[in-house]
Order: sequence, then C-alpha cells, then structure tokens
Amino acid sequence: MSHSDTIPLHPSSQSDIDEIENLINADVHSVSVLPARPPSPPRVSIPISHSPSPLPPYQKVPPSASPPPVVPAVPAAAAAPAGSSRIGISSDAFGSPPDTLTEPVWDTVKRDLARIVSNLKLVVFPNPYREDPGRALRDWDLWGPFFFIVFLGLTLSWSASAKKSEVFAVAFAILAAGAIILTLNVLLLGGHIIFFQSLSLLGYCLFPLAIGALICMLEGNVIIKIVVVSITLAWSCWAAYPFMSAAVNPRRKALALYPVFLMYISVAFFIIAID
Amino acid sequence: MEEGYTSLPASHLLGSVPAVIAEDKTTSIASEAASTANLHLFPPSNGGYQAPGTPSGADEQTTSSWQGVFSISSYSSYFNVDTDVVVERIISSVYPMNDFYRKIDGNPDLYGPIWISATLMFMLAALGNFGTYLMKKRNDSSTTWTFDVTYVEWSACAIFGYMLAVPAAFYFLLQYFGFRTSLVRLWCMWGYSLFIFMPICLLLVVPVELFRWIIILLAGIASSWFIAVNLKAYTQSSDLMMLIVGAMVLQFALALFIKMFFFP
Repeated sequence: MSHSDTIPLHPSSQSDIDEIENLINADVHSVSVLPARPPSPPRVSIPISHSPSPLPPYQKVPPSASPPPVVPAVPAAAAAPAGSSRIGISSDAFGSPPDTLTEPVWDTVKRDLARIVSNLKLVVFPNPYREDPGRALRDWDLWGPFFFIVFLGLTLSWSASAKKSEVFAVAFAILAAGAIILTLNVLLLGGHIIFFQSLSLLGYCLFPLAIGALICMLEGNVIIKIVVVSITLAWSCWAAYPFMSAAVNPRRKALALYPVFLMYISVAFFIIAID
Repeated sequence: MEEGYTSLPASHLLGSVPAVIAEDKTTSIASEAASTANLHLFPPSNGGYQAPGTPSGADEQTTSSWQGVFSISSYSSYFNVDTDVVVERIISSVYPMNDFYRKIDGNPDLYGPIWISATLMFMLAALGNFGTYLMKKRNDSSTTWTFDVTYVEWSACAIFGYMLAVPAAFYFLLQYFGFRTSLVRLWCMWGYSLFIFMPICLLLVVPVELFRWIIILLAGIASSWFIAVNLKAYTQSSDLMMLIVGAMVLQFALALFIKMFFFP
C-alpha cells in the first residue's frame, strides 16, 4: 500500500485545503511587499508547516494508524495553512500591527517610567491638581507602588542585622495587605473610590518613607533617624490625606483616615526600630 | 421492619435533642424579629437584603443566598457607623458599668473590632520591643537595642486569633444551649473589650516589675468584668455561669499572655 492510500482524505476536505492554499499563494505576494516583513514567505517562520504543500504532515502519520488519525490530521493540516494565512491576513487587513506590541523594549520601559514619574509628581509633590481626586491619579498604574514596596522591603532587610528575610516578609506583607485592607475599608464605609486607583495611590505615598528608609540605612544615629522619619512620615500622610478624605462621607472622614495613618506610623516605627 | 423501629420505647426521645429544640425556638423568634434579621446573620445572605417574614434559620442553608458572601456591598451594613458613634462606643467600653450592649444592639459594627485589633497588634509589637529593651537595660546596662521582628508575628496571631476564635466559639456554645445570639454582636463586644489594653500597653513600658504586674492585673479584671456584664445581658439567665466564668478566664489569660510574652 502506498502512503497516500493509508490516509484517505474526505473529498470535501481536499477542496477546502485547495481553497486555503490559494489564499496563501495570494497572500505570499502581498506579504512580500511590506518592508517590515522578511522577504521569505511567512510560512517559513511557522514551526508546524515545513513546506508550501499541506501533504507532508499527512505523510508523517504512521501507516499503521487506524482511520481516526484522519480527523486530527485534517484539522492539523488545516490549522497550519490557516495559521500562516491568519498572519498574512492580519498584516494585510489592519495595515500595520499594533505599535505597543512591536515597539522596542526600551520604548515600553521609557513610557512606563515616564508614567511613574508623572504620577509621582501628581501625588506626592505639591501641585494645583492634588485636591481633585478625579484628576490626581487618572492614569494610575501599579508599577510605581510595586517598586516602592519592594524597595522599602529591601532597604529594611539590608538595615536589619538578624532575620533579614523575616523583616522583608513582614514589611512586604504589611504594606501589600495593608493597602488592600485600607481600600476595602473605604469601600465598606460607603466611600466611592476605584479599587486599583486607591491601591496605586497608597503605594505612591510610600515614596517619602522609602527615601527615609534609605537615609536611615546609611545613617546610624538614632536622633537623626527619628527626625528624618518624622519628616517623611508627615510628608506621606499629607500626600494621602486629600484623596482618602474626599472619598467618604465627611462624618466618617476620621474613620477612613485613621487606618492610613496607622499603617504609615507603624512602617515609620519599623524603619526607626530596625537595628 | 420499619414499624419495629418506630415502636421502640426510645423513639419518644428523638425530639428531645437540645439542638432540635433550639432550632424550633429560633425559627419562631425569627418570624417576630424579622426587621433586625439582617444583622443577626453572618455571613450576609441575599446581598444583604432579606424579605421580612422569612425564617432566617432556613435561609442560612439555602444555596441561593451564598452570593452575599462575596460582594462587598452586603458587608457594608456592618460598617454603618460615624466617627462620633465609634468614639462613644470606645469610651463606654472602658467603664464596665455602662450599658454597652444596649448601645450596640441596634447597629453592631465590625469597624471597631477590626481596627482596635490591628492597632493593638502594632502597639504590642512596637512597645513590647521597647519595654523589653528598657527592662534588659535596667538589669544590665550594656545591652544594645535589638528589634525582634517575631513580636509582630506573635501579636498578629494572638490578637487576631483570639478575636476570631473566641466569639465564634461562644456563639456556637450559646446556640447549642438554646440562646439566640448574633455572631456580629459578639464580635463587636469582644473587639471593643480589647480597647482597654491599648493605654495599658503604654503604661507597661515602664520597667518596674511590680508596677507592670499591678497594671496588668487591674486591666485584666476590668476587661473580664466588661465581658461578663455584657455576656450576661445576652444569656439573661444564671444557669450558664460556667460559660460566663469561662469567658472571664479567657480574657484574663489574654491579659497575662500580653504581659508575660511581650513585656517579660
């Protein structure tokens, strides 16, 4: 028995494959015109199909296989040309691919860093838009808070002389779980905030404390540490105040603000107390 | 052989299991007190709203009511307090003679217990380290400051474990004995009872051993008395004295643990 007889094709599927092959042959010419594409046909870059003809995948199926392999073989072969034609079609139909997917990595990193800096300037430093919670952190992101929490944890861990990993774990857990619990607290008190925007804001307000922790790590004197941490603690609380107080009913303002101050004060004590 | 079982002489005892009686009592009471049925239930069912007249006991087991557990809005009925209400409850928790249970009867809140426990946890960790250092320095003036970060972990486990487990245990015990209590009110009461330990922590920093023991004994007695007075208001009978004494002993044990572990 020849190979072609062991895997009988349904007559209709052969016509489908021919149709798809025609589409591919039509796309190969259009794809080669685009400058961004490599000059070789797109199917070469796809690992599942190795030649323009759809027949080789059939021939790879062992001849001793029973008829059921016909069913998985046909979709596999149909998927291979369909996948390549999909790429050809997408590049053809939408003109150019989405920019953020094909831009250089440095561009993405630069854009994220710029957003972190702009959010920081909006939240932590005095500016005319601070009092407006809708404007203050409209373009929230979680990269900034992540960096600051990890940096604070690492700084505290470096400052500690014993049980460094426990110190990092406690700091990270308090800050991360604390931000989530504080946001839930405002929501439960009937306040109106967006969950991730609030997480983002509480993370950005850690920036002064992170600076304070860095200074305390380099400086050993307790009095200087207390002074520096007090200043940065006041700065953090001042940064978080307008957002949190605007989110709830004025009669419950203190209820929403007290846990925020509690978290920052405990982190500040942690920074001073780590030996 | 079915008839054989029903004709057994012990079959009349089947209905006398206390749990069954309690359920009958609760369903009859529930239909009368349907307006406050919301706050008796924890976790909340039906998104926080319950049609009046439905027996609350049956609803706790129906599968259609479990979605309330996962939505935040159904829990916000337990946080329906303003700043002045919370402050007033805190102040009345310090004096055991005030009628605390009447203040929280209509509107028990979980804000107080959660944040009092959190504050107490941080204060114990911070002031415990400070107090331990002062005591060691008094005995041996060459000791240097060390920060034991395990105090944070121990205080979190102790305070939050106590706050979660003890009221829940008492809730189940009281249900077993047939009293209709509400888990949220028990949590609320136990949470506010911990407030007195916060200024006590500040006082315990003083490195005089006798002073520390006097302070913690006074605090333990005051806190246990607060628990006893309020628990008695819920049970409204004297034959559960063992339960009340048990609650007092547990609270006193917590006070002793605070002194011995965090301020040795």
